[in-house]
Amino acid sequence: MSLSNILDNLSRFRQDAESERYGHHDYEHRFGMAIDLDICIGCNACSTACYAENNLPVVGKDYFEQGQAMHWMRIERYWDDEELEHPERGASFIPMMCQQCGAATCEPVCPVAATYHTPDGLNAQVYNRCIGSRYCSNNCPFRVRYFNFWSFYESSWPEPLNQQLNPDLSVRDKGVMEKCTFCIQRIRVAKDSAAREERNMIDGDVITACAQACPTNAIVFGDTMDPTSQVSLAWKKHEVKRGPYTHKEAKSDEEIRGYRVFDELNVDPSVMYLERVRDSEV
Amino acid sequence: MVQVIAGSVISSLTLTVVENIHRMKMMKGVKVNRRSFLKMLGWGGAGTALAGCDMPTTVTLEEGKEEVVSYLSPEEYVIPGVGVWYASTCTQCDAGCGLHGRVREGRALKLEGNPDSPLNNGKSCMMGQSGVQTHYNPDRVTSPMMRKGNSLQAVSWDEAMAELGKQVSSVSGDRFAFVSGSLSGHQSVLTSELLSKVGSKNHFAYETINTSIWQAVSKDLLGDAMPVIRYDKAGVILSFGADFLATWMSPVHNAGEYAKFRQGERGVLVQVEPKMTLTGGNADLWVPAAPGTEGVLALGIANIIVSRGWNKVDVPASVKTELAQYDLNKVEKITGIQGSKIKRIASLLSERGPALVLAGESTVGQAKGYEAASAVMLLNIIMGSVGTTIEPSVSFPENALAAKQGNTSSLKAFAQGLSDSKYDVVFFYNSNPIYSAPEALGVESGLDKVKFKVALTMFPDETALKADLVLPLNSAIEDWGTHVAAYQGGSATMSLQQPLMEPLYKETKGFGDIMIALLSKLDEGYKQFPDYYAYLRTSVKNMPAELTGGALASDESFWNGLLQKGVLKTTGVTGSLTATLAVAKVGTPTDHLDQTSLTLIPSARLGLWDGRHANIPWLQEAPDQISKVVWDSWAEMHPHTAAEMNLKNGDIVKIESKSGSIETQVAITKAIHRGAISVPMGQGHKEYGRYAKQTGANSLSILDPVFDHKTGELATHATQVKVSKTRKNQILIKMGGSDVQMGRSFVRTVSADQLRRTEGGA
Ligand code: SF4
Ligand code: SF4
Ligand code: SF4
Repeated sequence: MSLSNILDNLSRFRQDAESERYGHHDYEHRFGMAIDLDICIGCNACSTACYAENNLPVVGKDYFEQGQAMHWMRIERYWDDEELEHPERGASFIPMMCQQCGAATCEPVCPVAATYHTPDGLNAQVYNRCIGSRYCSNNCPFRVRYFNFWSFYESSWPEPLNQQLNPDLSVRDKGVMEKCTFCIQRIRVAKDSAAREERNMIDGDVITACAQACPTNAIVFGDTMDPTSQVSLAWKKHEVKRGPYTHKEAKSDEEIRGYRVFDELNVDPSVMYLERVRDSEV
Repeated sequence: MVQVIAGSVISSLTLTVVENIHRMKMMKGVKVNRRSFLKMLGWGGAGTALAGCDMPTTVTLEEGKEEVVSYLSPEEYVIPGVGVWYASTCTQCDAGCGLHGRVREGRALKLEGNPDSPLNNGKSCMMGQSGVQTHYNPDRVTSPMMRKGNSLQAVSWDEAMAELGKQVSSVSGDRFAFVSGSLSGHQSVLTSELLSKVGSKNHFAYETINTSIWQAVSKDLLGDAMPVIRYDKAGVILSFGADFLATWMSPVHNAGEYAKFRQGERGVLVQVEPKMTLTGGNADLWVPAAPGTEGVLALGIANIIVSRGWNKVDVPASVKTELAQYDLNKVEKITGIQGSKIKRIASLLSERGPALVLAGESTVGQAKGYEAASAVMLLNIIMGSVGTTIEPSVSFPENALAAKQGNTSSLKAFAQGLSDSKYDVVFFYNSNPIYSAPEALGVESGLDKVKFKVALTMFPDETALKADLVLPLNSAIEDWGTHVAAYQGGSATMSLQQPLMEPLYKETKGFGDIMIALLSKLDEGYKQFPDYYAYLRTSVKNMPAELTGGALASDESFWNGLLQKGVLKTTGVTGSLTATLAVAKVGTPTDHLDQTSLTLIPSARLGLWDGRHANIPWLQEAPDQISKVVWDSWAEMHPHTAAEMNLKNGDIVKIESKSGSIETQVAITKAIHRGAISVPMGQGHKEYGRYAKQTGANSLSILDPVFDHKTGELATHATQVKVSKTRKNQILIKMGGSDVQMGRSFVRTVSADQLRRTEGGA
């Protein structure tokens, strides 16, 4: 079963990466983001909001040191001018979380298909199917999959902290992989409400916890299949398309700010970043 | 675990329920579908509120099929699986952002910004997000405690209040003191009432992180203490240590305005400071002037501007002559900043205006902080910022409700009073000076001379554990309140704090409830109010029309509207600006620097703040924005300085000032001046619960008692320390293995020039 599964996944994966239609699904939605690194100030509000929304455990100092922190959304900070006496151009911040790749490299390697692609364009993780092989996290170029090496329930939520847990999703136990879900519980609620109201989902029906919190509105979330959504407009303006890597040269102006991290790996990330700007005249 | 709202106890939440039922009754018989029904109630967040029907399969009420009437009984008030959003106010810092809190099955689960609040426009910061962990914190004080012999022992509220009443009615007025953080709204009214009933003027509002010196200078030079800062209108912002994106004035509000400043015609940010703050991390140009020389740099820039005639406002010849002594060579030598760079900053101010120049902690935290801030303000005046990027203040029309802002000059005054044995009874509310005051001020030992110390607190902090009576407070999520933020960016708003759930513990009480109970003992008039809610309700009913924007406050719908929106927007009183041109006599570092020591920078963090959030696990585990270190303290040092002392990451160093010493691990970074060492404030608690206790070192504790000579504010950046190596070391625990991108280009950067060409700057 698992071998055929892997082969099957692999061929689908290649089809995803190579075909014009870029995908094996009849997608209903393809949720995506646009994150403007010029207005992201690196403040951590998004990341903390994600802890609050998604029942992320606090692992403590020692496990943090082992690289076992569970921050689905982490704000990376880089220094670019290594040779200078001081970082004169400030720091480079980037919020990094699961990019919900359309041709996700983590998916085909799961022996039990615990990580798979949903018709909403999400790279979903089925916790109770996950056997903890960790192949997916090995294969994730973005390093955004987090494995529960321990059961954090008691250490992370001593009573009554556990009363804050969001009942819309589970607390993951030892042996299970987890990662950003694009706040799937919020998507589900919005879909259900729209269905009850007998209408299609519209832009703004769902906002992820991180995008909601962001004080500068650096994160735009929405359906990239809805051509009128804010996120689609942003992708269009910055000439980033779904599917295989668009070379800079193929853009009308190669200096346009939109790009996807590791786009050249052809994994079709659902997150577009806008380049940070620094005033070189200054 | 699930808290079902009981109808029996007259707690504040029951009252909300009663309110809601009352509102439901008013609508009886009107057929409304559930969606619009919920919207009509105080269930804020219209869109999100309904999105709260999280598990539709378990929801029995089908939209449109139910009538209002069947929904009335309190038992059904809690709908399984349905999250509802209520408006309230964040109290994690004194910026006063409006909140929406999601409540499900009687539990508050998630906080988000209130889009109706003009302060934060629906946004929040990491501390605001963590309000739930303050509330559900496992280390709360859950019953009143009184000192018996050497230890604090649990007592009943009756016993506690009887003792409190006795102490307060017998203390002679001027021997009573009340120490708090910033206060506003009706909590402030009641505090003033208590003080006046006791006959005392000793209210000490104390905040380590404040903007007092900026305000004092604004008042003296612009005629307006709290002018509105228009980041969005600025073409260039030159900030001398003002960390406006994280700790200065109103961080969430500022961040929203900053985004506008960066979008459209992209503004330029230049940050001058000895240690990189979050705002510095976002600068186009980061300028690490030598610690304490920012005032000189500001005057040097002013000199270039006036000598080239770039000033937008006439500058009298006398001022020009005075400025002339700050010639480029001299300024370059004092500040350590290349002359060419200083010239560039000056020309930026002239070419890329409108300019906005700010002064924050590292600049003003000096013995001559007032002068340094005045020098900075001079730039605003000569560049014509006054009236363009700096607009007249808008203040809340009711003085009694306006903010009493905390500062550190009040700490100084309080400490002086303690050493003079001036007080017999002291109250501490939202204030923990034993932790946050420099040890040299002798607060801890001074408190021994106070006969009766009362801590109104949620946590067993350092000050509470020294008290004679500890009164456990409700969390912000369990309590009522009103808040009028000191800085509102042009609006005049009162934000309502309403309980999102029933108190977790039976034996905690609201701050207002305690004040009302105490006031009833001193004044019969207060007996009409069974609790704070009743008082608040009556006060709001009596609000004059100029506060309510003409609406009739006595009308039930006014209160309902307030509960629903969470904010009362009123017409503020606009101040006026008149600029005074003067050249300040700034200090130079030769006043206090010697070559063998380093300047200690106890930098403030968005996160642990002044240490009050060290007990929040999310914030302990959130990497510091700049250093990315977690869970501990660290001492930032420049690689050059570290190399001289043969130090590497994780080495434990002893940092010794005239007033004390701490030990912590070295974190090497280029984002600091060679002559400085930075140990962020907030860690090193001796008490304060499991997450805070014994984590890191408290850099505030070793500050020398140096004060700004003009305002009396603590000079936080004026302590010189000797650093020595110990034999100990540990692993520096931080997020991410690499500080550089190694060619992988996660974060790509373009020049602003390219941006203008490709996106037309829009
Ligand atoms: S989309 Fe949701 S799960 Fe993903 S990082 Fe944001 S808050 Fe976390
Ligand atoms: S909340 Fe927004 S500004 Fe802050 S780190 Fe996240 S994306 Fe950046
Ligand atoms: S800035 Fe202050 S008031 Fe606003 S969300 Fe953050 S902690 Fe709360």
